[in-house]
Formats: sequence, C-alpha cells, structure tokens
Amino acid sequence: MKQGYTLIFALAWRNLWRNPRRTIVILFAIVLGAWAMIVMAAYSRGMSQQVFNNAIDNLLGHIQIHAPGYLEDPVIDRVLDTQQPALKTALLAPEIQHTAARVRVPAVVASERDSQGVTLLGIDPAAEADMSFIRKSVTLGKYFEGNQDGGIILGKKLVERLETSLGRRVVLMTQNSQNKIADRGFRIVGIFDTMIDAQETSYAFITLGTAQQMLDLGTNVSEIAVKLSHADHTDKILGGLRAGLPGLDVKPWYTLDALTKLFQDTWEGSAFVWYLIVFLAMGFGIVNTILMAVFERTREFGLFQALGLKPNFILLQVWLESLLLLTTGLAIGNLVSWLTVLATGDGIDVSAFSQGMEMVKLSKIIPFVLTTDDLVVANAVVLILGLLTCLYPAWRAARLVPAHAITRV
Amino acid sequence: MTAVVSCTNIKKIYKQGTIDVVALAGVDLTVEQGDFVCLSGPSGSGKTTLLNIIGGLDMPSAGEISVAGNMLHTMSKAQLAEMRLQHVGFVFQAYNLIPVLTAQENVEMVMQMQGVSKRERGRRARQVLKEVGLEGMENRKPPELSGGQQQRVAVARAIVSNPKLVLADEPTANLDSKTAENLIDLMRHMNSEHGVTFVISTHDPRVMLHAKRNLKMEDGRLV
Amino acid sequence: MDTTLRLAWRNLWRNPRRTLLTMCAIGFGAVLLIFSIGLQLGQYDMMIGSNVRIYQGLLQIQRDGYRADPKMRTSIPDILNLAQKVRLGTGFQQVSARANGFALVSSAKRTYATAVIGVEAANEPRVSTLPGLVKQGHYLSSNHANEVVIGAALAKNLQVSLGDELTLLGAARDGAVAAAVLPITGIFESGNADLDRSMVQIPIETFQETFGMEGHGHSVVIFEEDFKKVTQYQQRIEQALGPHPGLVVLTWDQLQPGLKEMIDLDYSAGWFMYVVLVAIITFSILNTFLMSVLERTREFGIMLALGYKPFNIGRLVMLEALILTLFALMIGIALGVAVNTYFYYHGLTFEGMEEMAKLYNLPAYIKPQMSIKAVLSGPALILIFTLLAALYPAMRIRLLSPVEAMRKI
Repeated sequence: MKQGYTLIFALAWRNLWRNPRRTIVILFAIVLGAWAMIVMAAYSRGMSQQVFNNAIDNLLGHIQIHAPGYLEDPVIDRVLDTQQPALKTALLAPEIQHTAARVRVPAVVASERDSQGVTLLGIDPAAEADMSFIRKSVTLGKYFEGNQDGGIILGKKLVERLETSLGRRVVLMTQNSQNKIADRGFRIVGIFDTMIDAQETSYAFITLGTAQQMLDLGTNVSEIAVKLSHADHTDKILGGLRAGLPGLDVKPWYTLDALTKLFQDTWEGSAFVWYLIVFLAMGFGIVNTILMAVFERTREFGLFQALGLKPNFILLQVWLESLLLLTTGLAIGNLVSWLTVLATGDGIDVSAFSQGMEMVKLSKIIPFVLTTDDLVVANAVVLILGLLTCLYPAWRAARLVPAHAITRV
Repeated sequence: MTAVVSCTNIKKIYKQGTIDVVALAGVDLTVEQGDFVCLSGPSGSGKTTLLNIIGGLDMPSAGEISVAGNMLHTMSKAQLAEMRLQHVGFVFQAYNLIPVLTAQENVEMVMQMQGVSKRERGRRARQVLKEVGLEGMENRKPPELSGGQQQRVAVARAIVSNPKLVLADEPTANLDSKTAENLIDLMRHMNSEHGVTFVISTHDPRVMLHAKRNLKMEDGRLV
Repeated sequence: MDTTLRLAWRNLWRNPRRTLLTMCAIGFGAVLLIFSIGLQLGQYDMMIGSNVRIYQGLLQIQRDGYRADPKMRTSIPDILNLAQKVRLGTGFQQVSARANGFALVSSAKRTYATAVIGVEAANEPRVSTLPGLVKQGHYLSSNHANEVVIGAALAKNLQVSLGDELTLLGAARDGAVAAAVLPITGIFESGNADLDRSMVQIPIETFQETFGMEGHGHSVVIFEEDFKKVTQYQQRIEQALGPHPGLVVLTWDQLQPGLKEMIDLDYSAGWFMYVVLVAIITFSILNTFLMSVLERTREFGIMLALGYKPFNIGRLVMLEALILTLFALMIGIALGVAVNTYFYYHGLTFEGMEEMAKLYNLPAYIKPQMSIKAVLSGPALILIFTLLAALYPAMRIRLLSPVEAMRKI
C-alpha cells in the first residue's frame, strides 16, 4: 500500500478538480463556514478579553486581600494592618507585579447643590498608578502628587450630577472607626472620564494617607489588591498567599467577580456550539457533493477493483479527496478571516449600542482578537468532523461490487 | 504445460426480485499457459459472468475455481484483489482507463501498487506503450485519445506487469474494423512473443479467426 | 400546471438519497433557526419582563429631563392626583405614584447612604414584585404610616432586624435638612444583594412630609401585562393626561435605553450569524440543484426539441426547488415548534444560568418565545436564499441548444 500514496494523492487532487464548478461551490460553503467560525471567535474573544481586562482594571486586580468579613459587610471596622511582617513577606513572590493598599468604605459626597452616595477609595497614588484605570482616566486637572495630597478626584458624570466643577469644594461624609460621622471638605483636583457612567458615578478617590488620617486608621487599610504578571498565575499565588496569611481573607478575581468568570465560561461553551452548528450546516453539502462525485465514478471504482486495487485503496482515495477539499477550504477561510481581522484594525465600533455595552461592562470599540487556540479548535472541528462525515461516501465507494460497478453503463 | 485456469462445475445464480436467474449452469473449463481462448455466444449466455468469476470480480454460487494456483472460491475480497493485482490483466469493452491519469500513468498504476521502482516502471511503461504503437502519446489523458488508442493503452496496462492471464470482455465491440484488426494483431503478438494467456469473450468473427481455441456458450453452458 | 407539478414532484424522487440529504440540510437549518430565534426572543422577553416587573414598571410618567438628570427638584406637583387621573382616564389598575430621594440611613451602629423611595402602600405591589418579596414582617400599611421597608443585605450591613428604628438624614426639596426616625416593618429579599442594598421604601405621604415635597412626587409607574402593546398604552396615557406640558410618558426602553441597546446589539449579532448560516446551507445545496439540472441536459434537449420553451423548463426547475424547500421547511417548522413547545413548558436551563439569573434578577430558566415572528422568520430567510440558489441553474437552461443537449449523455 505504501507505494500507492503518491498515486492516491495524484488521483485525489485531480479528481477534486474534475468538476471545477461543483468544487468551487462547495469550497464557497467551507470558506464561508471557516470565516464565520473564526471571525465570530475573534469577536467574542475580543469581547471576553475586554470584559476581563476592564474588570481587572476596575479596581479588581487578580487577587484581593481583606480582613475576614469585610466582603459581606464592607465597613471601616474590618481592616488589616499593612505593617504586619507576614503580609510583607507574602507579597514578595516574583509573579506579583503590583500591589496596592486601599481604604474602601461607603460614603456620601455633597456639593452645595446635591449629594450622592459613593464608594470612597483612599489610594496610594504611586502604587495605584499601575494597578487600575484611575490614573490614565484623569482627563481634567491632575492625578494625586503624593500620599498626603489633600484633594479629591471624582468622575465626570458625578461632577455633573453634583453641579460642581474642577477646583471647587465638596464635602465627604462617612462613618469613622469610632462609629461617628466624619466629614471633611475636599477640593476637586482631578476629574476622571471612563465613558462608563456607572464607574464615573460610583467612586470618589482621595489619597490613602488622607483617608487613614481622616478615619483614624493608623496604618490599617480595607483591602490590598494584587496584580500578577499573568492571570494564569492566579491559582498558584492564591495558594501561597492563603498559606502565608491564615488570618486574612484572600480571594481570586473569579470569586470576587463571578459574573466576569461566568461570561468567560459561557463564551467557551457557546463558541464550541457555534462551531458545531456551522459545521452541521456545511456537512450536508460536503457529504452530498462527495457522494455525487462517488456515484458518477461508479465504473471507475469498479475498474480499480478489477485491476487488483483493494477496497481500502478506493476508500483512501475518496477520503484523501475530502481531506484536500477541506484543507483547501480551510486554508482560504483562514486567510480571508485573517484579512478581515486586519481590515477591522482596532475593532468594530459599536457606539450605536453604547449604553447597552455599558451594562455588560464593554467599551464602544470591540477589538477582534485572533488566538492560536481558537484557530486550532475551529480548524480541528471542521477537519475532524469533516473527515468523519466523509467516511460515509468513502465507504460507499469502497463497498461497490466490482462486477456490477463495471458492467453498469 | 500447466493450467492457468481450471473451473469445475461452476454455477452462478442471481436473484432478480423473487425469480432466480441462472447465469452459469455448471461450467468446466481448463486454460493452459500460452493459450488464446475465444468465448462466443449470444447475449445473456454467460460469457461476461464467466470472465468476471475467473477474474475474481464475482463469486460462483457453486463449484471450484483455481487461477494461477489460487482457489478463488475460498478467498477474501482483499486476497482476490491481491490475486488480480499480481496475476490477472483486464481489458473491457469500454471505459477502460482512469480519466484523470495520463496514458503512461494508467499503464504504470498496477506496477506502482506492486511496488516496482519509479524508474523501472517508467521504463517498462514507455517500452510497452511503444510496443502497442503509442510512442509519443504517453502524456495524453484518455479523453485526448481515440477509442482504438484507448483500448491499446488498456492492453498495454493489462500485459505490462507480465500477468499469467489477460481477460478481455468484448474488446473490439466499440472499434471500427481497421482498429479492431490492429488490436487483434497486437493481442496475438503478445500471445506468441511473450506467451501471455488470453481469454476473450466476443461476438467478433475476426477475433474467433485468430483464436487457438474457440468455445461457444449457450444458456450458461459450454457447448 | 397540473402536469408540471406532477413532473416536478416525480423528478425530485428520481434520486431519493440526494433529495433527502438536501431536505435534511434545509430542515436542519429551519429547526436550528426556529430554536435559536425563539430562544433569543424568549430571553429578551425574560430580561425585559424581569426588569419591568421587579421595580421599573412598563411605563412611567416623569418630568421632562428627570431621567437623564434625576434631581429632587425636577418633580411633579400633586402626584397622587395625577396617578388617580391616569387610573380613571385609561382604566389601567396597575398604577402607582413614587417620590425618590437620597439619605444617610443610620442604625444604632452603622450608617449607609442609600436611595429612599416614597411609594403608595396599596398600589405599589401592583406595579412591582419587590413588595411581594418581603420575607420578614409586612409591607407598608398605609400612605402616611411611620414605617420603613428595607432589603435583607442592607439590614445585615446596618446590623438591624425587624422592629429596629432607622434614622434617615438627607436633603429636603428646598435644601433644608430632612430627617425621620422610622421602625422597620418589613425586610425584602430579592436574591440580588446589590438591589437589596440600593433602596429603602417608605409611605409616599411620610416621604412628602419628611422631604418637604408639598404633594410633589417624581414618577407615576404603570404596569400592564402585554409588553408588545406598549406604544398603544403610551398613547392611551397621553390622551388621558390631556395637554401635559413638562411631563413625558416614557416606555420601558426609553427608561432603560441600555437594556434596549444590549438587546438590539445581541439581536444584530444573532441575525448576522443566521444569515451566514443560511448562506452556508445555500451553498451546500446549490450543488444539488446544479447537479439535478446538468444530469438532465439530454432530457431538456428532448423537451426543447418537442417545443418546450426554456422558460417552461426553467419554471419546472424552480418548481422542483420550491417543492423541495417547502416540504423540508414544513417538516423543519413542525420539529422546531415541537422542540420549542417542549422547552416552553419545561423551561431551558444550562450550567451557570442560576448564578447569572440571580445577579440579573432573572428566572433560572428560559422559555422560548412562541410567536409567528419567532417561528416563521428563520424559515422565510431560508426560503428566500434557496430560491435564489435555484435561480442560477434555472437560468442556465436558456443557454441550451436542443441538438447539443441531446448529444450529451
């Protein structure tokens, strides 16, 4: 049989182009299918990554450390001390890229015109700069200059609601550690603009130093956010931190933000379902086309058998023909998809749906992201299922009885 | 002289709906090495069925058959294919060639499956094509050849691997008389020069004229 | 026509395997589209439904500009009378007035900033499912009772239980301090902690007194069961209001453009996929149509020689395609409706859905929508595409010359 491979290959390739129109029509179906799979995958992957990155940047980080009970009841009493030696050692792991300590409590911001409930964040300006969205989103005024900066940074939308502006004063009220209302005036030194209304109206930023002083916290903080060099290290570092900090509550991003995790999981599943559906749609056409090609060559297969070629030879020949058809279609499909992704540049503009995108934590531009994994899975689905499906026509061809096949006119 | 083909009481019964059609009603036939046998008889007398059974393309309903020492009625499909590949060449009435392969590739095909080296099979294919008078047409595909030329390629393919036996089913039926004469000459030549054994089914008196042995079939029997 | 029809029918069954495979492709497409579209529309119904039901209502009457910038001063005078006017003028019974404010809510131990909603005690349960979710105590008893109802998550954070007193401290409509001390009579639990933490409800007249509203309120909420008639309802309400300068009647999608846009985006993405899918199926079956014409070239030659016009033969070919498609679609529709009916009564749920449902306040299963639109829009798309595909081979017949055609095998 080994000697026959070049022969089988030549036969398969030439037979594929025996009826070029038919082959081109079915190639269209395969190319369109591959394109639909890959482009849809790139679109969803882009969306999924954006949701993930936005979530991580939105003060989440990969891991957060809190005092026990804080997450259910986020009040000023539940704090942890940044100066404890165990914490300092635990945070030395090489995969940990950035850490940021924060005071995070509910508060009310009031201007002379209106007041609004917010989450007050006391942040370390230097540490937070690489941690979350805040530094790069300050579009008016400026980011904090040092840990003792006495200003406040508010979102653009919140500033509008409060009918105030940069440079004016607002009053911040919150419960301090003695369970008394602490209030203090702040000058608005910066305004951040993330284009996401919910983000812009829910946070008020002051420096960590000011917050600790205002709330009598000393060196205590509400949370420490940890950003890793790569999200894949999450579980490993999580284990290390939990072992090193038995008295603290260490949680990964996927527990803190179950929705983002769910979104990613759902995406993985639905992408695969989409591949299968697209494959089914073209599968009927592929089988029908190959069957047609087999039945019009009935006598030829009889002849092969008469010449002493085994049924397996015929099976392999038809199968290889299917393989060539599939790989040709996939090659073009991949190329077209790649060009499509190139052509869309930064991504597709969905600003017409911007408020809807906001609800699912997406920006106005969704980038197409092609990953090797997605490409491999999409191509593998077509190839493997395609070859399995084409076993049927190949088997039909091999099963033809030579005497009948050859004498049939 | 050894027997290339030996059939003992071969029967073949087809089921057509609920009716049994008797195609062969007990045939005894022995063909010696170097023979040139002509089977004639009216349509439906069983010529093609007999050839198919000798070639291992079809199984007898009863009886024993051996070809080149192989007991065909005991063999599997794959073994039969191997037997055909090694020992039997076929020439059919029409549709003899693989349309996507050139004349030379058609001739080389069987040798390729037998594992003959590329150089050797190229040499032999060109040589046999020259012998059948098709020099210079090695790279043409079947649609670019006339009917007679196609049948010559078929003969070339049938004999190129030195089979013990060549079976031809009405090889001249679709040819004009001049071309038919040429083809018969070619087969006679192969028989006398190379000792190839031929069993030919035909209506054509010109073929019968050249046969060493003429057998007649009627209603599934040799008469 | 009768003979043409019979001829077309018989021609279809000349190659039963091919016809069946083609019908499978079309039928499969129809089932898939009916299922997906039904599910998609069902999911939207569910999202809209739960959003509308839980709190928002199907329509709201507000002061113009209030939605974009909800200020306490942007209020409607004599809100209770307005609600009554709507009830009498339209005959709608599910109508309730609300007033919205903001306050620091304090227990003995804790303080939280949250929204305070003044509601009509008797009418609120008709427009919102939240009052029905009171798990401890009871809902508000009258419009002027000294009572407050809060969410379970907020109760936990404030460390209060039924009967405890809450102090509300906020800004009144005229800017003065608004303060009230109210006992907790009910605790609702929706399953969504964010929602449960987002507001407290008090009787509307108590609210008006506390916040210096002088009979003003912010919205009249209207609920009706048939969401599809929302624009009709809107007109009816506007008629009942008579001339109403400064007031707007907003539908659910105007109240929450984000939800509407999210649905629109998802719907567009869905239709993109459906069209691609149907195009793939079309390419898959184009070969069958082509084959069935090409293999009958000789036959068509004879028909032409007998005096048939190319138009007649083209019509025959189109008729064959139409019969095949309609036949397959009927089976597909029957199966699709069967599948959807099953899930309509049993509900469809998948892994992770429960968590998602909780976060978004949705039921834990989806019911496919059972409407003419949901069932027929997919098959209609397939019909259009397949007939377009049949047009090509039918047109080719015009190119035939009888003599050449008859010479073909």
